[in-house]
Amino acid sequence: MSMRIATLNSFERGLTTLQRRQSDMANMQEQLTSGKRVARASDDPAAAARAERAMAAQMRSTADQRALDASRSAMLQAESALGDAGELLLQTRDLMLSAGNASYTDAERRNIGDAIRGLREQLLAVANRGDGAGSYLFGGQGSARPPFSDAPGGVAFEGDGGSTMSANAQPLPLTVDGGTTWLQARDPATGAATLSVFDLLDRVVTELRTPGRSNDQITQGVQTGVAELDAVSDHLQSTRARVGETLNRTDSVEVRLSQQALMAAADRSAAEDLDMVQAVSDFQNQQTGYDAALRAYSMVQRLSLFDYIGG
Amino acid sequence: MGATPLMSLGMRAMAANYAALQVTGHNIANASVPGYSRQRVELATALGQFSGSGYFGKGSDVETITRMHNAFMTREAMTVKGLAAKDDARLQQLQKLETVFPTGEQGLGHTTLQFLNAFSDLASLPSDSSARQVVLARAQELAARFSDAGAQVDQMQHLLREDLRTTVATVNELTSNIATVNQQIAAVRGLGQPPNDLLDARDQLLSALSAEISVTTVMADDGTVGVFAGGGQRLVLGNDAQPLAVINSVGDPSRASVAVMDNGMALRLDEATLGGGRIAGLLQFQNKDLVDAQLLLGQMAAAVGGAVNAQQRLGLTMHQPAGSVPAQDMFNLGAPRALPLASNLKDVTGNPIGRVNLTITQPAELQASEYDMRADPSYPGRWQITRLSDGLVRSVADGDEIDGFRVDLGNPSPAAADKFLLQPVSRAAVDMSARLIDPQDVAAASPLTAVMGNGNTGTAAVASLVMTDATANAQHTASISFTNASGAYSWELRDRMTNALVSSGTGTWTPGDPIPSAPDPAINGFALQLSGVPANGDTVTVAMTTNTNANNGNALAMATLRDQRLVGQVRLLDGSTTGGATATDAYASAMADIGVRVQGAEAISSISSSLAVQAEQARSAESGVNLDEEAAMLIQYQQSYQAAAKVLQIAQSIFDTLLSAAGA
Repeated sequence: MSMRIATLNSFERGLTTLQRRQSDMANMQEQLTSGKRVARASDDPAAAARAERAMAAQMRSTADQRALDASRSAMLQAESALGDAGELLLQTRDLMLSAGNASYTDAERRNIGDAIRGLREQLLAVANRGDGAGSYLFGGQGSARPPFSDAPGGVAFEGDGGSTMSANAQPLPLTVDGGTTWLQARDPATGAATLSVFDLLDRVVTELRTPGRSNDQITQGVQTGVAELDAVSDHLQSTRARVGETLNRTDSVEVRLSQQALMAAADRSAAEDLDMVQAVSDFQNQQTGYDAALRAYSMVQRLSLFDYIGG
Repeated sequence: MGATPLMSLGMRAMAANYAALQVTGHNIANASVPGYSRQRVELATALGQFSGSGYFGKGSDVETITRMHNAFMTREAMTVKGLAAKDDARLQQLQKLETVFPTGEQGLGHTTLQFLNAFSDLASLPSDSSARQVVLARAQELAARFSDAGAQVDQMQHLLREDLRTTVATVNELTSNIATVNQQIAAVRGLGQPPNDLLDARDQLLSALSAEISVTTVMADDGTVGVFAGGGQRLVLGNDAQPLAVINSVGDPSRASVAVMDNGMALRLDEATLGGGRIAGLLQFQNKDLVDAQLLLGQMAAAVGGAVNAQQRLGLTMHQPAGSVPAQDMFNLGAPRALPLASNLKDVTGNPIGRVNLTITQPAELQASEYDMRADPSYPGRWQITRLSDGLVRSVADGDEIDGFRVDLGNPSPAAADKFLLQPVSRAAVDMSARLIDPQDVAAASPLTAVMGNGNTGTAAVASLVMTDATANAQHTASISFTNASGAYSWELRDRMTNALVSSGTGTWTPGDPIPSAPDPAINGFALQLSGVPANGDTVTVAMTTNTNANNGNALAMATLRDQRLVGQVRLLDGSTTGGATATDAYASAMADIGVRVQGAEAISSISSSLAVQAEQARSAESGVNLDEEAAMLIQYQQSYQAAAKVLQIAQSIFDTLLSAAGA
């Protein structure tokens, strides 16, 4: 026996079904408008968690990139500072060689000494160069004031040794160790890493400004000075090369970071973004279904025996 | 034989069909009334009149009017409707709760990571006050987000109680109506005919009632129905209804329970025995889902805030001279609570006497749970603590630590019969706030700095130096010398002023692990990470930081919190810890946890509501009015009525014929 249909119940069920279809369509419409398949965790908890982790990885890449940019900016400045220092040392070397000219008078040598002193002041300024953000390029692991200052007994390094590091997963330096760069070149005479570029220039200046030196003394002084200057130049050059290497490493880290960011973005998109083609097709399906349901409902509910009972 | 029997037969038939038409009309009129059961006239053949030539029928009589009603299907529809209402109530609440755990950029995971990333930026610019300002702004945002989320949960709890009050008022209205209808039904019982419309009305009241609270019914001999809820608590008996009331929950008074008021005594309904109905759905949501949401938020807030505070205290602020202004906590966190149960011993003013104090000791080991605490029955003087999330029972003494918090008996200490609900993290999120306003207060610098020796020949460089322990003394200088090429080292800790030896020891460095690593002894509360490889004879000095303005050691340590499993670690018996999740992962899984619940509730609710639809369909297939059927009945009874009228007319005409034949 077929089931009796109660009129009220049949109306109610019809309405419920229509409402469900309508709410399904509203959901789909929301997804289509936002372009997201997962708007809240309950849409797909596993995908939402995956998207969350991918977002964290993305944010992490961005933060790492900022830290990397800070390191690169500092290292580029340090590299150019070391280049400037090389220039200054080259000028100094020329002046020192010219001072070896035996025909020069004491006064002329003193002038050369004064010129070298001027270059030494410039070199000190280079060593104390700031990074434009309150730190010093050669500040090591931190220096509140300019890290190099004239002190009794020569220029002293006031920072902590080593380099300040960035917060990257692979730490990148934000500063160069000023102490080892400027004060610890290998002494050609002793072989110990104790040669300070400033002490050297101070000695040269003092020597040049000392009147009444014999030719031999002058030649000797210039030879020692130039040898030491070359050692210092080499030392600065090798520091510069290390900074350059750091910059190369920075570039490769950056490539990795951008790959990570890209992967994270793809991961996130795969987890939570809507497949538009699929969604549009589904939406059209739903529309057709809803349309048919509406027609069927209005047609079936219009049928009544009362219409056929002649009044 | 005269015309009188025919006439009376016709009149009877007309009356019977008229009654049938009347009932049909009643059915049509009530077709849209919910809960109405269609009625039928029961006609019966009147007993025949005996004569010599046999029995002559006397037509038909209206015997009674019955309602088409199936008690089993009605009860089934009622029960299933109650379950659907329960599942729907929980689903609605869960969907609201889900907005506390949004995904992506709106989520707490994003805010937390953004805060910790600010330390990465600060590490790049340790002396830049704008980077510090960003840290403070992010800290404020993080605290605000946590406390907002906590407040949303509190608000839901508050609204849920209001919702329960309204629902309970509805229940009380319904039960008192049922009692009234019971009385009316009992009153007309003596008349011998079923009061169909009253019975329908009562069924409808019972159906509405079971949407709010699941009930069992027992029919009494006098036609009244007894209504019971929650495993036998009486709601209606005869014409007497007992009201429900919303009362405070046993443990946390902000949570609600429902009780039957029996002569002023509140008899608590056990949530487990409630079965279906809105009330059961609301209580289940409150006791399971809302509590868990609060705990997940609290656990994250306590773990992240606690880890940041601890690291902050290990660092140095920017104030000069260094160390003159000690580093303060970055966050205030809601304090842990031990709530005395209402049954505990009270003083004359009604305040509970015995106290228990909780202190957070290891934020990373806090679990998302509440705990039940009562006297240990096996060991007098000890206390038994049950973790409510998984039922783990442990016995503790005064001052013991479990799950990252310490339990101290207060003064006065609790009586043996006292019980407590321990909430180590429940308030951590909602009462979270950022404390610092001066950018200089951010402890970006580390009190110690590691410097590689000048004459080192190996490739080792300092990768990071992280302060791990508050016992570190900046006045002590550690000198570490590698004694072979495979990482063995010896160290000395000396006073930096007097050079007096404080302590010394040895250890072994393994690539990737910090110096010192367990089981090697701690040196001075630091963990030193090297990059490269040290050679035999290489040295590292870990000494007081001289330039705290430009040092970024502690900012780096803060940034490493991003990768640390600082939420929900588990301490093993040997003292080591395992498990735990990073802040990002903890949020992702909390969010997924709530998401799964919503998804599950959606599925359950869709099943139970379609079951309810089916049960209602089955019930109404039996009891509901079909208008086409009634139209057919109209035609049928109209024709019968017309035929009966014809009989009457013929009887009349026979009578006339008789009269005229008699020459009247």
